[in-house]
Amino acid sequence: MTSKTKKNILLFLVCSSLAAWNACKKDDDLVALPQPLKNEPEVITTLKLSFTDSANTGNVRVATFRDPDGDGGAAYDIFDTIRLQANKTWFAKIVLLNEAVTPADTMSKEVAAEKNDHLFCFTPSGSSASVSITDRDGNNLPLGLLSTWRTGAAGNGFMRVELKHQVGTKTGACSPGETDIQVNFPVKIQ
Amino acid sequence: MRIYHRAKGKVQHIFFPTSFCDRGKMHQLIRCLLLCACMWCNASSFAQQTCHAVLEGFVLDAHDKTALPFAGVYIEELKLSCTCDEKGGYRFTGLCQGTYTLKVVHLNCEPLTQIITVNGNTVHHFYPEHHTEQLRGIEVRDLRNADKLLLPETELSGEKLRQTRGQTLGESLRSIPGVNTLQTGNSIAKPVIHGMHSQRLLILNNGIRQEGQQWGAEHAPEIDPLIADKLKVVKGAGSVRYGSDAMAGVILVEPRALRDSAGVAGEVLMVGASNGRSGTASAFLEGNHKRIKAFSWRVQGTLKKAGSLSAPTYTLANTGLTEYNFSYALGWKKKFYGAEVFYSQFNTKLGILGPSHTGNLSDLQRALQSEVPAETGKFTYQINRPYQHAGHELFTARAWLHDGASGKWLLQYGRQYNLRYEYDKHRPLSDSLAGLNHPELQFELSTHTADLTYEHGFLKHGRGCAGISIITQTNTYEGRALIPNFRNRGIGVFWMEKYPMGDFVAEAGLRYDYRKLEVFRNVRLPGGGNTIEQSLHPFQNFSGNAGLLYRPDSTLQLSLHAGTAWRPPSVNELYSFGLHHGAAAIEYGNDSLGSERTLNGIFALRYAPFPALLLDANAYVHSISNFIYRKPTMQPVLTIRGAFPGFQYTQTNALLRGCDVSAAWNLLPQVQLGAKASWLRATDQHADNWLIMMPSDRYEGNFTYRFKPFAHLHDVYLTASWLYVTRQWRVPLNSDFAEPPAAYHLLNLHMAGFVFLWNRNIELGFSVFNAGNTRYRDYLDRFRYFADAMGRNYTLRMGIPLQTQ
Repeated sequence: MTSKTKKNILLFLVCSSLAAWNACKKDDDLVALPQPLKNEPEVITTLKLSFTDSANTGNVRVATFRDPDGDGGAAYDIFDTIRLQANKTWFAKIVLLNEAVTPADTMSKEVAAEKNDHLFCFTPSGSSASVSITDRDGNNLPLGLLSTWRTGAAGNGFMRVELKHQVGTKTGACSPGETDIQVNFPVKIQ
Repeated sequence: MRIYHRAKGKVQHIFFPTSFCDRGKMHQLIRCLLLCACMWCNASSFAQQTCHAVLEGFVLDAHDKTALPFAGVYIEELKLSCTCDEKGGYRFTGLCQGTYTLKVVHLNCEPLTQIITVNGNTVHHFYPEHHTEQLRGIEVRDLRNADKLLLPETELSGEKLRQTRGQTLGESLRSIPGVNTLQTGNSIAKPVIHGMHSQRLLILNNGIRQEGQQWGAEHAPEIDPLIADKLKVVKGAGSVRYGSDAMAGVILVEPRALRDSAGVAGEVLMVGASNGRSGTASAFLEGNHKRIKAFSWRVQGTLKKAGSLSAPTYTLANTGLTEYNFSYALGWKKKFYGAEVFYSQFNTKLGILGPSHTGNLSDLQRALQSEVPAETGKFTYQINRPYQHAGHELFTARAWLHDGASGKWLLQYGRQYNLRYEYDKHRPLSDSLAGLNHPELQFELSTHTADLTYEHGFLKHGRGCAGISIITQTNTYEGRALIPNFRNRGIGVFWMEKYPMGDFVAEAGLRYDYRKLEVFRNVRLPGGGNTIEQSLHPFQNFSGNAGLLYRPDSTLQLSLHAGTAWRPPSVNELYSFGLHHGAAAIEYGNDSLGSERTLNGIFALRYAPFPALLLDANAYVHSISNFIYRKPTMQPVLTIRGAFPGFQYTQTNALLRGCDVSAAWNLLPQVQLGAKASWLRATDQHADNWLIMMPSDRYEGNFTYRFKPFAHLHDVYLTASWLYVTRQWRVPLNSDFAEPPAAYHLLNLHMAGFVFLWNRNIELGFSVFNAGNTRYRDYLDRFRYFADAMGRNYTLRMGIPLQTQ
C-alpha cells in the first residue's frame, strides 16, 4: 500500500467522522413540544349503526359505540343498546368515524374504497335479528356497509359486529384476516 | 540493534516531558538522538561484515510441545518473514551476526515477540501460548487489573466465537452456560442472565453502555457482533463498576485492540446459510505506519441479507432481514498516554412473522389454535409489513494517561443515537396516509455519556478504581402513543478497592447514583385537542458490593460475592398507555412505582482435580424487593377493536435462585468432552407463586475430536453438541395465552479448521444447526404462540486473512 493511499484512507476517515457527526440527528429540543408532532396514526373511534324501518322511512333508530382513542388505552364513552321493534325489516347502514381529529374523518368511505379487502360480519345471539348483507365488492363478494335486519319476537340478545381486514384472503367467510373492529352490541327487541 | 531499540524507547520517554519545555531535558534529548544516530551507523556497518548465519528452529505449543504448523515468523529489523512448514519448522538464511527482534504469529496464539542474538548458525525454538479450546487448569485472572470484578466471568472468543459468526449477538451468547435468550423469532434475540433481561442487564459496547429502546421484549440490542473480538459475560450485579441497573450482569462487547506493530492486515469473512438462504459478508482492515508508530486505524463493515426462514414443515412467512453496519477506529498510543476515536453504525430491517400480528384477543386465540400459521407462503427475500427498522449510531472518544508508577486516568465520552420504526401489518385506510408509508410507531433516543475513572495503587499491594459517570438522554416519539417523550439525566460516583492477602483477594466497592426523569405526556382534552402534562421523577440510591476470593493453589479457586443494586422504574413501566400491537396487549404504566432493589449473593467454584478436567460452578440468589412486573388485569380491556388482555405494571418481592455448572474433560489428547447445565427457580414472594417468563432447565453435552495436521490442513476439529431443554411447568396459572411448550432436544454439528493456501491460513467452517430437523417451540420465544422454531440450517463460513508487511 503506497503512502498516498494511506493518506487517502486517513483523509476519508477524518471526513467521514465529520460527516457522521453532522448526520446525527438532534432531537433533544423536541422533547417538550406538543405531541403527537406528526404521523398520528389513523384510528377508528366510532361505529354508528342507523336503522330505517322498511315500512316507514320516518322510523329511524341509531346505535353507537365510541372509543375516543380507538384501540388505545382509554375506555369507551358511548356504548348503546340496539333497540328495534319486533317482526319488522330494517335497512341498516354503517358509518365509521375518526373523531380523534377535527373535523372528524368518515372512515367508512375508506373502507368502501378498499372494499375488496374488507368484510363486515354480523353474529346474532339470543333474541336478536337475522342479517343479510346487501352491498357487494368488486369481486361480487359481500361487504356489509349496507344490510337488512329482520327482527323476530320481542326479547333480549346480542349482535356482534366485526370488520375484518382480509388483504388477498377475502372469500366471503369471516375467519381469515385481522380484526379492525369488533363490538358486541346488546340488542333489545321490543 | 537491540541497543538502538532500547535507546528509541528512551527517546519516547523523554519526548513526553519536553512538551513542558524543560531546557535540561531538551539537551538530554539531543544527546540521545545523536547517540541513536551513532548506534544506527554502527549497526549498519556491522551488518556488512559476516552475513552467512542461519537461524532455524521450531514453533511449538507452550503446553504440550506439539508443533504449531504454518506459524509466521518475522524479523522486525530486516522486514523478513517466513512461514513454518507443517511440522512447525522455520529457517532464515544469510543473516548477519547481531541481535534481532523476532515476532511469531499463529492464528490460535498470542503473538510472541523475542529478542534473539544470532552468532553463527543459531537454533532457537519458540513456545507461544496456544489458544485452542484446550484445557490448561485454571487461568490466573489478572488481579492487578483494578477494573475487573471478582464476579464469575465467561469469555467467548477464538474458536467458540468464530463458530457463532453470522448469528445475532443474542444467539452468539447462548453458548455460555446460564445465558438464555428472549426471542421474537430467529432474528430478534435478547440475552437473559439469571432470568433477567432488558433494563436489568447492561450491555457495554466498546466501553459505552448501550442505550436503545431496551424495554421492549422485541427490541434486540442494536450491535453488530462481528465487531467483537471478545464477548464477555459478567454474571451477578456489576452495578458498582458499571451502573446501578446492571442487576443481573454485564455483557461486554469488545472490539479487537488496535494494531500496535507496523503493517496493514485484515480479514474477509463470508458466511452462507441454507435456512433463509442468507449471506453475510464482513471485513476489516487495520494498519499502523512504521514512521508514525503511535497512530493506528481500523475500518470494518458487515452486510447481511436473509430471506424467509423455514420451520421443519413450512415457511415462516415474512421473516427475512437485511442488515448493513460499519465502524472505524483511530488510535494514538504512546507509552504513557493515548487516545482513541471509535464510530459505529448499525442498520437493520427485520420482517415480523405475519400471523403474529393479531387484531384482538379472538384473533390471537384463533392463531393459537391453528397448528400451522394462517399464512405460510413461499420463500422470498422481500420484507413486507409488519416489519421493524432499527438504526444505531455510536461515537466514542477516549483518552488515557498513566501518572507515574501506578495510576491511570481514563476519560471517555459516548454519543448514541437510536432510531426505531415499527410498521403495522396494515397500511392506514386512507390513501393519502398509506402513500406516505410512515411507521405506526417511531422512537428516537439520543444519549450522551461521559465517564472519568482513576485506577490506582492502594496501600502496599492493593489496586483500586474510582470514577464518576454522567448520562443525559432524550426520547421523542411520533405515531402511536406508547411511551411518552422524556428527558433522563443521571450522575453516579463509585469507588472500589481490591486487596490480595496470601491466598485470598478481598474486594469492596460503593456507588451512589442520582437520576432525574422528566416526562412530557400528551393528554387528550375532553373537548378535543391535546395538552402536555409534565412530571418529574427523581431517584437516588446507593449500591455496594463485597467479595472474597480464595485460591490455595492452581487447581482450586473459590469466591463469594455479595452485593446490593437498585434500578429506577423505566419510562414504560411508569407511563405505558395503550396497545402494544406486537404483543396484542394493552399495557398500563403506574406512575407511583418506586425503585426496585436486589440483594444478591454468588458463590463460584473453579476446580481442576487433575490437569485434564475443569469444573466450573456458580450458585446465585437474588432477593429483589419491589420487583416490577406486568400483572394481568382482572377484566380484558374493551376497545372498538374488541377485547384485549390488559396488563398493569406493579411491584412485588421476588426471589430468584439458580445454579450454572459446566465441566470440560480432555479424555485423550485429541478428544474433549464437555457438559453444561443451568437451573433457575423464580418465585413471586407476595403471591407465593412462580414468576412468568423464566427460562426452564437446560442441559448440554458436547464431544470434540481434534484432527492431527494433514497436508495443508491444521487445527481441524469436529464438535457434536446435544441440547436438552425441559418444559417450563413452573408458571403462574391462567396468566399466559398458551401452555408452555414441550421439552425438546437439538443436535448441532460443527466442523472447522485452517487450510494453508496462498501463503496464508484460511479458515473454513461448516455447521449444521438443528441437524435432526426437529419441530420444537421454545418457552422464551414469543413466536411459539404462532409457529414452530427454525428447522435444520447448514452454514458454511470462510475467513481469509489479509496481510502485508
